[in-house]
Amino acid sequence: MRRVDELERLYQTSYTAVVRFLYRKVWDADRAEDLAQEVFLRLFQHKPEKPRAWVFAVAANLARDEARSAIRRRKHLTLLSTDPTPGPSRIQAADEAVEHDEQMEAVREALAALTPRDREVLLLWDAGLSYPEIASQTGLAVGAVGTTLARARKRLVEAYDTQHAQDHAAHS
Amino acid sequence: MRHIPEDELHSYLDQALSRSQCVEIESHLAHCGACRGERDGIAALRDRTTALLSSLTPVRDRIPPSWGVLSRQAEERRSRRTARRQIGLWAASIVAALGLGWGAQALTHRPLPAESNLAQLRPAPVQTHRTSTGQQPAAFHAAAPVTRPESALVRSSVPGAQAERAERAIDASDRAIAAGDTLADPSPTEPVGTRLSTGRLPTSDFEFAGEGMWRTLSWDNAKRERGESVPRIRGLPVVEVQIGMSRGDSSGGPTMIVAQQLSSGQLIRTIEGPATDVTRLLASQHAESRSPWPTVQDSLAASDGTMSMLRGDRMLAIQASPSVPADSLRAMIRRLNAADR
Repeated sequence: MRRVDELERLYQTSYTAVVRFLYRKVWDADRAEDLAQEVFLRLFQHKPEKPRAWVFAVAANLARDEARSAIRRRKHLTLLSTDPTPGPSRIQAADEAVEHDEQMEAVREALAALTPRDREVLLLWDAGLSYPEIASQTGLAVGAVGTTLARARKRLVEAYDTQHAQDHAAHS
Repeated sequence: MRHIPEDELHSYLDQALSRSQCVEIESHLAHCGACRGERDGIAALRDRTTALLSSLTPVRDRIPPSWGVLSRQAEERRSRRTARRQIGLWAASIVAALGLGWGAQALTHRPLPAESNLAQLRPAPVQTHRTSTGQQPAAFHAAAPVTRPESALVRSSVPGAQAERAERAIDASDRAIAAGDTLADPSPTEPVGTRLSTGRLPTSDFEFAGEGMWRTLSWDNAKRERGESVPRIRGLPVVEVQIGMSRGDSSGGPTMIVAQQLSSGQLIRTIEGPATDVTRLLASQHAESRSPWPTVQDSLAASDGTMSMLRGDRMLAIQASPSVPADSLRAMIRRLNAADR
């Protein structure tokens, strides 16, 4: 019972972070929600010893599988649009929506400029995982997590600034 | 003065260091302006990274399910999986049962032997004793006692042409009996019983141990050594031939015991040799089974499953195991006797 309470508390505190973590990998809000629910369904079934790290490990695996299946789908379907980013469902002002989308796209591209390991470590840190948890999931030494994070943060900002400068030059 | 490495400052700001490491860093920062500036820059970088990543937050219009709903879904999924697993187990058990059934059927209905073994199981060629040389044929003719029609047995005692017709009918019947449901049509050239003679006999109620020396031969070897004088029922496969070495070699040949098997599994033994030896043999065999052997006073004597006939100083006996009706034994030994004459 105590275990179930612990899982429930984890669900309440981590669900949003898991959805966000998944969204930054699959770039589809609805799909991220579906996968997050799948993660917590499995959590309830397996009841692992370290549930928080387990949740993000499963989320990363599901996102990886999702990316593979998306690649397979793209091979079979001719997609007219290459931008899978979902538009906001709420009615927003047109300029706000455009600005939001532009920034989002720039950050996405900056994130895509990172190495897979740097990106994974950065996203896990942003999801709230501790250094040991990140190390456990990525296979890095705990001492290497700080180094990787320092590099990832620097490269992300640099890539974003470069992208932003290019966009600004293109608009002006 | 050693400055704080960049990655350590990241770890410090991420609160990933131990308490002692934090104290050490803070004491250094208190005296090092360069490191303080570096720390502020990293903090700004960290905040900016967080801000950039926060823009990658999905716009969510779905209310996440409550924990109760999620746990119910998990329980339903678990029960579905259990049901699927049970169905799989049932299907597997059905398949296993079918497989066992087939296996048992294969065991109870033994397949025909391979062609090479089949040839060895074929019955001996049926021969009549109408030889052109006029020599007395040594081969015996008799029917398998269990399945032989009674009318055929009766006709077999009629002399002359009628007897020959009866013999031909019996020979044909022998072939059918011998072929039975497991044996192929008899081939006149192939040896009989050579393979089976290497194994143990199907029954052990006829032990001849202690009655002198016996040589056990295959049908091929016995035929090579004794020619057609080996007493046997035509049309039945010969399991093995035993030839006595202790007595009777000087007077008309040694005692021979020929074991043949019906397709029904019954073992027929034909014993031929000096009367004293055969009598002693049968008496000793009966003594072992604690039942009195009939005195050989008449030309024909019988007991359960055994029948013997005196021919001068020699004796011909037939024993069936399991036992067969006395009429069948009588007809069989009369035919053996007639054929021998």
